[in-house]
Amino acid sequence: MTTTWIIVDEPGVAGLLDTARNLGRPTAAVVVGPHELAASTATAGVDRCLWLGETGDAPVEAFATAVAAVVADGAPGVVLAAARPSARALVGAVAATLRAPAMVGAVGVETDGDTVLVEREVLGGIARRTERCDGPVCLVVDGGGVPEPGAAVPVEEVTAEALAVRVVENRPSSAPQVDLAGARRVVAVGRGLKAKEDLALVDRLAEAMGAAVACSRPVAEGSGFLPKDRYVGVSGRTLTPDVYLALGISGQVQHTVGIRGAGTIVAVNTDADAPFMKECDYAVVGDLYTFVPALAAALQS
Amino acid sequence: MTVVVAHKWAPNPQEATVAPGGTVDLSRAKPAVSEYDPVAIEVGRRLADAWGCELVGVSVGGPEIAAPMARKAALSRGLDRLVVVADERLSGAGATPTAVALAQAVGEVEDVRVVLAGDSSVDEGAHLVPSVLAGLLGWPSLAEVADVTADGGALVVERAQGSGSQVVRVDGPAVLAVAADAAVPRVAGMKDILAAGKKPVVELPLAGELPAQPEVVGRAPVPLAERGRRRIDTTDPDAAARELVAALRADGVL
Repeated sequence: MTTTWIIVDEPGVAGLLDTARNLGRPTAAVVVGPHELAASTATAGVDRCLWLGETGDAPVEAFATAVAAVVADGAPGVVLAAARPSARALVGAVAATLRAPAMVGAVGVETDGDTVLVEREVLGGIARRTERCDGPVCLVVDGGGVPEPGAAVPVEEVTAEALAVRVVENRPSSAPQVDLAGARRVVAVGRGLKAKEDLALVDRLAEAMGAAVACSRPVAEGSGFLPKDRYVGVSGRTLTPDVYLALGISGQVQHTVGIRGAGTIVAVNTDADAPFMKECDYAVVGDLYTFVPALAAALQS
Repeated sequence: MTVVVAHKWAPNPQEATVAPGGTVDLSRAKPAVSEYDPVAIEVGRRLADAWGCELVGVSVGGPEIAAPMARKAALSRGLDRLVVVADERLSGAGATPTAVALAQAVGEVEDVRVVLAGDSSVDEGAHLVPSVLAGLLGWPSLAEVADVTADGGALVVERAQGSGSQVVRVDGPAVLAVAADAAVPRVAGMKDILAAGKKPVVELPLAGELPAQPEVVGRAPVPLAERGRRRIDTTDPDAAARELVAALRADGVL
């Protein structure tokens, strides 16, 4: 029988474990990172936990070929990695070694013998396709939160050689760290926000609402108003808050694919025909510059 | 020493229509050099100029990528020459077969110091081809790269890490996916497009077998949650705000 492999380079792998468990195969984890990450993975409900040793000053990506060798040697069926740049570097090397398909957007995975059926969203989430793979397949899925600890399996240390990459310097951001994944309420801004200073308006609303602040991709990459780990949608974050308030975001599918699981969606836009107006619970047609202060005041009264 | 940029000629699914059965029609979506790839070409041009070396584009895909329009679109953005692998079997190919063909093309270029790629393709958007390519070449891959410089034989790479950044040193060649905002790509003028027609292009036949591709056994539209779409008028912003707060409180989400 094939083994389901999960690639672990950060603690947020509950999403991978959920997918792995549904397949009903033995599950093995290969861990790149400090020993404590391996120790916590060993309690996450896996049958085996292989650890490549302390990474020293090598970044996660330096262990791509080592991870590929471990997985290739372990009867891989489905290989799962989280949608993060470092995990993609690892799973890419696995796909190269196995010459196996590497895919994103899976919403359902089933196995039948060596055959794997993957239902997934394609082309940025505009349609779904079910694909049959005869042999191993690498899937990049949402990593999710930190798994609940349970009974531990032993951590098996494997000697690994790192590729010639070293971290020279870390430059942490001065921007405060925000736990978007865990936020129950999220206020997100799009291109309707004209200037970086105007974020103060949004911050006041978020504070009144007890919400975290996210954005659409152009706000993080085009105008750089917010750090890149705050944008929602294809290639960015997938969020499932109770309430998602979108300010000046048109609602192209590339964005909305990241919040389809949200409870209540409010869209605020000057354009009554913006796509978001069809994919929301409350369609507020108006200027965010007048509505946002009014909303902040109404929340406080 | 050579700088290589891998790029894709792809349709923008923003222009696609999806039939009720989930079949995607891309016939109205005009192909172009994929959204973020001009950024990679721009970064590559600057690097090649700084190092005084050649900038070679590599592209793989269906027969249409060898057409003069596709070649010129890439060459006019600053490449010195182009290597393409155009084959029917690469039309709509997944990350692994695409990377296999790219590895073949990269293998034809001498003394490659670095392979650059865009953040992700406009159509698949999987962010996977650079890391599969790196795996095939046995090189490291790094993504969200903001800057690359040379230090002797090493590459010094600045890349995004969480909400901050990290400087990484690579001894030897690497595959780097540049961040979407790493550079502002140039707009090709008439002179660039005319000059592009004269630049060398090598068309390689696809060598060897491609890895097996999954078989599509079903298609479906994306099920959308039924949302209320209750319209709130903001002629009076304060009244609108009170109406929304009351509604959200009634929904139990505030």
